[in-house]
Amino acid sequence: MIAMAERSDIAAADEAELAVLVAQAATDRRPLLVQGFGSKSGMLRPVQADATISTRRLSGVTLYSPRELVISALAGTPLDEIEAVLRQSGQQLTAEPPDLSGLLGSDAGQSWGGMVAGNLSGPRRIAWGATRDHVMGIRVINGRGEVIRSGGRVLKNVTGLDLCKLLAGSQGTLGIMTEITLKVLPAPATTGAIIIRGLDANQGVSALSAALGSPFGVSGAAFLPSWAAETIPALGSQSVTIIRIEDFPHSVAYRLDQLSGVLARFGRAETLDDLTSRAVWKAIRDVTPLRPGASEAVWHLSTRPSHGPQLLALIEAAGARGIMDWGGGRIWAAGPGTEAVHGTVMRAVRDLGGHFTLMRAPDSLRTAVPVVPEEAPALAALTRRVKAAMDPAGIFNPGRLYAGL
Amino acid sequence: MQTNFSVEQLRDSDNAASNSVLRTCVHCGFCTATCPTFVLLGDELDSPRGRIYLIKEMLESGKPATEEVVRHVDRCLSCLSCMTTCPSGVNYMHLVDHARRYIEETYKRPWPERLMRGALGRVLPHPRLFRLALRGAALARPAAGLIPTGTMTGKRLQAMLSLAPAKLPPQSAAQKPQIHRAEGARRGRVALLTGCAQTVLAPSINEATIRLLTRLGIEVVIPAAIGCCGALTHHMGQHDPAMAAARAAITGWTREIEGEGLDAILINTSGCGTTVKDYGFMFRDAPPAEAAQAKRVAALAADISEYLVRIGYQPQRPAPDLTVAYHSACSLQHGQKITSAPKDLLKTAGFSVVEPRDPHLCCGSAGTYNIMQPEIAGQLRSRKLATLKDRRPDLIAAGNIGCITQLSGDGMPVLHTVELLDWMAGGPRPDAIGQSDV
Amino acid sequence: MIRLPEPKAATLAKRDAIIAGLRRILRDSGVIAEAARLKPYEMDGLTAFRQPPLAVALPETTEQLAAVLRFLNQEGVRVIPRGAGTSLSGGALPLADGVVIGMMRMNRILEIDYDDRFAVVQAGVTNLGITAAMQSDGFFYAPDPSSQLACMIGGNVAMNSGGAHCLKYGVTANNLLGLKIVTIEGEILDIGGMHLDAAGYDWLGLLTGSEGQLAMVSEVTVRILRAAEGQRAMLAAFRSNEIAGACVDRIIGSGIIPVALEFMDRPAIHACEDFAHAGYPLDAEALLIIEVEGSVAEQDELLGRIRAMCDEFDPISCRVSQSAEESAAIWKGRKGAFGAVGRISPDYLCMDGTIPTGQLPLVLRRIGEMSDHYRLKVANIFHAGDGNLHPLIMFDANDADSFHRAEAFGADILCLCVEVGGCLTGEHGVGVEKRDLMHRQFTEIELDQQRAIKSAFDPDWLLNPAKVFPLVAA
Repeated sequence: MIAMAERSDIAAADEAELAVLVAQAATDRRPLLVQGFGSKSGMLRPVQADATISTRRLSGVTLYSPRELVISALAGTPLDEIEAVLRQSGQQLTAEPPDLSGLLGSDAGQSWGGMVAGNLSGPRRIAWGATRDHVMGIRVINGRGEVIRSGGRVLKNVTGLDLCKLLAGSQGTLGIMTEITLKVLPAPATTGAIIIRGLDANQGVSALSAALGSPFGVSGAAFLPSWAAETIPALGSQSVTIIRIEDFPHSVAYRLDQLSGVLARFGRAETLDDLTSRAVWKAIRDVTPLRPGASEAVWHLSTRPSHGPQLLALIEAAGARGIMDWGGGRIWAAGPGTEAVHGTVMRAVRDLGGHFTLMRAPDSLRTAVPVVPEEAPALAALTRRVKAAMDPAGIFNPGRLYAGL
Repeated sequence: MQTNFSVEQLRDSDNAASNSVLRTCVHCGFCTATCPTFVLLGDELDSPRGRIYLIKEMLESGKPATEEVVRHVDRCLSCLSCMTTCPSGVNYMHLVDHARRYIEETYKRPWPERLMRGALGRVLPHPRLFRLALRGAALARPAAGLIPTGTMTGKRLQAMLSLAPAKLPPQSAAQKPQIHRAEGARRGRVALLTGCAQTVLAPSINEATIRLLTRLGIEVVIPAAIGCCGALTHHMGQHDPAMAAARAAITGWTREIEGEGLDAILINTSGCGTTVKDYGFMFRDAPPAEAAQAKRVAALAADISEYLVRIGYQPQRPAPDLTVAYHSACSLQHGQKITSAPKDLLKTAGFSVVEPRDPHLCCGSAGTYNIMQPEIAGQLRSRKLATLKDRRPDLIAAGNIGCITQLSGDGMPVLHTVELLDWMAGGPRPDAIGQSDV
Repeated sequence: MIRLPEPKAATLAKRDAIIAGLRRILRDSGVIAEAARLKPYEMDGLTAFRQPPLAVALPETTEQLAAVLRFLNQEGVRVIPRGAGTSLSGGALPLADGVVIGMMRMNRILEIDYDDRFAVVQAGVTNLGITAAMQSDGFFYAPDPSSQLACMIGGNVAMNSGGAHCLKYGVTANNLLGLKIVTIEGEILDIGGMHLDAAGYDWLGLLTGSEGQLAMVSEVTVRILRAAEGQRAMLAAFRSNEIAGACVDRIIGSGIIPVALEFMDRPAIHACEDFAHAGYPLDAEALLIIEVEGSVAEQDELLGRIRAMCDEFDPISCRVSQSAEESAAIWKGRKGAFGAVGRISPDYLCMDGTIPTGQLPLVLRRIGEMSDHYRLKVANIFHAGDGNLHPLIMFDANDADSFHRAEAFGADILCLCVEVGGCLTGEHGVGVEKRDLMHRQFTEIELDQQRAIKSAFDPDWLLNPAKVFPLVAA
């Protein structure tokens, strides 16, 4: 038995040990900071915990069946390692999870479990679904220290309540995932992109909408204001509206050509080759243009795509800046880490419809403000009851999503 | 699906037939989606699957029908859209026909309804009586506003009056029993069912049919002593009159078949066609000779559009610049599974042909339905007219007098397909289109 | 007969008051209470189990639905949500003391937005009705369960329905943006919206596939997609189930993901051909329907590569559809497959387990052996690409013994699915049918965890009781 009292940073050796530790913490009502490598510890609200409990020693791919399109790994497996394994079989993580080390100012690296607990997805989300859409099965330790399985290793499964979805994106507040199975897909043979320079945000989103409303299977649709485009060598100094196609080489060439026609009314479309396209989309995925300063805050905003430009304008007026992905439906924004600016962001999202997540901010700010929108009272009550159903003693990441929860 | 008939019950031929229909149903529910009453009313009980279940319970119980069941069976249009949809091949037509007969025999309807159904069954199939009734209706029309519409009976009377045309077309000699000789060399010989209500409401349909066929070298026989085919009363569950009418028709046609011979028995009212094609089933328990005759008649029965495709149709006039919205009568598309022939013929004739959204949905005519269920029929009519007009046609074509009557009176000409085909093949321009170019 | 919970005596005793209360909210036209008229509501698409409800309520608005739930919750009355009643797992099987709430009258499409690619529809809109409303503009709603003609989107959300094309486009959960739900307390809540991926708990994901255990759905905001330029299906016929299974493995392993990859065995081929006249090869033991999409040239390229792979497995024939009508007929046959089995058998039980696709040949062989053992024919129809099996066990409900054998056969198949690493249900839901097999897949602790979450939404277990969870605690 590991005595937790003496240790404030615990990395259990295996699932069984983790379960015992959790059960003990529950008995003792000792709150735990749950994390993988801690790369996202600056996100959301700061957690007041007695101890940090980490999955980092639960590492390794436990099942990989390329023909069945599934991979399972323990929660503490470095994401890099998994991506390398997939690459060897010509496959990839469909939701294109971003590497936010630059954005969040952490070089800890990302764990498999952390990726799922944060439900972060890249530009491809708009065509192929979010990380949570690909979670086929989980093993999770609940707040009683019990090991719970949900889902499995098959591509279609509606047996019982879908705790995979509930846990994905729950930021370690409902349980500690120990092993996760994801659906994977073949990596595309080629990628390519077309860009149109110099559009304003409204025109840009209209162009993205036209592309996404075309029959050509767009897998990325972003708008970078000129300051953001400038940070990416291939793009130059004007704003860039960029659209991606991923497929077999013939298809990519054909579709880019067709899209240029569809978008002709917005301006001249230039084509980016495979390598350039990959580099640019990686930069968009990882939000490298934003380059937040140490005192700045970073927001992830989600809205109705056609409301994206207006949302962007509102936060720009408050002194923030942002780039748009998901056809205008997602804004990665950075700006002064003050309550005033955060207040503007909250109001803008509320008025235009959508959602915000405070991804990074000085501790003083993220302690003082809602980091995600407050839920309607009846929904907030459900949140409390579901939290209690998973974690009755309230020991996992208290306060991380909502104050007092 | 599981059934619970006793051995004794299954000795009855109708029960046995219904049992095998019920056993085919797997309760998948596909039929609900294409049922007009379910789409409108949103109640399982007004869907084919719900009615199948109500009928099953009613027949299995062997007890008299109750108001609760009758209400929902009565709301069925017998459009048979469900039969087109059904993957399992459930013969809903035979089941609901049995149910209607069972209801007629075991359920006592309120007296105004009984009176009305009796009158409809007696008048509609007899052109002379029907014409008289329509004259009366025309006279009564100014008083229509005086009929209280608070009751179902009032609504039904209103519906009846509004369906009756203000002016009846003159009687047509061409429809009387006779032989219309083929023009030129005779290529074939057919009998034509001139119908009952149709001969009064729109003799132009039979006239056009006869002109077109004789011009194509087909001799057209209108045998004596054939009035209604039995469909009207059959659909009201009035078994004996229906069988009597059908028997008369079978006798008349058999005389021709065994005389100079017939290549086909042509029907240009698809509601009748569905019934005539089912004579084999209706007479399955008849003495062998009669059953065989019924089968033979059913096998020869063909819709006019089917037959025209068979013998070949070509227009003689230059294509008119007209868009026809083709309304597929339920009895044609669901009852007889004839879907492309009329459209193909109209296209061949030179019309541009469009179809409304949800072409599978009934217009609400359905025999006497638009009188007995005026509210649902009215909603279906509005819906159908709206979807037809959405396609911006110059006129509407249909292959069934019931639909034509139901859809008329809304400012858009509604014609029988065969009238348009006849026009383009050299016949006169149909009156309904008017003389000026549309 | 399936075991249902004891009806609450208190509820039965105040039946008249409950019906009167419902009529106050919905008027007479929205309440069904006579025994004869309740009968047709006694089952859904699963005919094996039947139980007429206490009453049926047919709300026309979200507010009415909320009022009904509030009233029933106050009275402690159990509720059975129902859409089109096409569930194959008995998801809408009533209880003697339960009120069925039918959503069929809420069948309006409220909004379609092509720029932001969503549609807001009421729960009673049919799955196909959504696509039908937009296909002339080139858009569609992707999940396409075989019952899509009739099944309603509210039910799709409850069951997280899949379909033939989810290999590429995902299941219901992957194609939703928002829900309007009503809780058992009668609270109307908006979940999600017209945007993607809100932070906080994934209510959308948890509610989808929850089989009416957590709340009722009154409106759904779905993601809609622009359809590809075109699609074409190919029929590849093989000499045995195992060979066809191996070919599926080969295709998926090659890096090509067809939009659909469907499997039928001989009995299924014959039944469907009889219904759809699609030109299915009647000499085949197993048939794959493989669909690709894109421009004609793209289709040709993909079909050429797939054809070459099929050729490695000595096919009897490979035929590429030549027209839209031919493709429509091919899909009509496949989608009508369950009903079409009604042509060769009076009754069937449809299984829905999922297996790792690599286990396909083994599982098919074992199903064949079970078929001999139980002396019951089985028609196999699968979503082969994702390992979701639909063995249709044919029996005769008028012969009680054959029904009992069918039930045992079905349970054996599902246990086999779990044994080889799969699950009990891929897309039809647990319902009442597989409720008692849940122990095969989950431990009691795991089930208790799920029950605790249900209790968080529905503390008195009034919502669709006796489904999903084994009865013990229900």
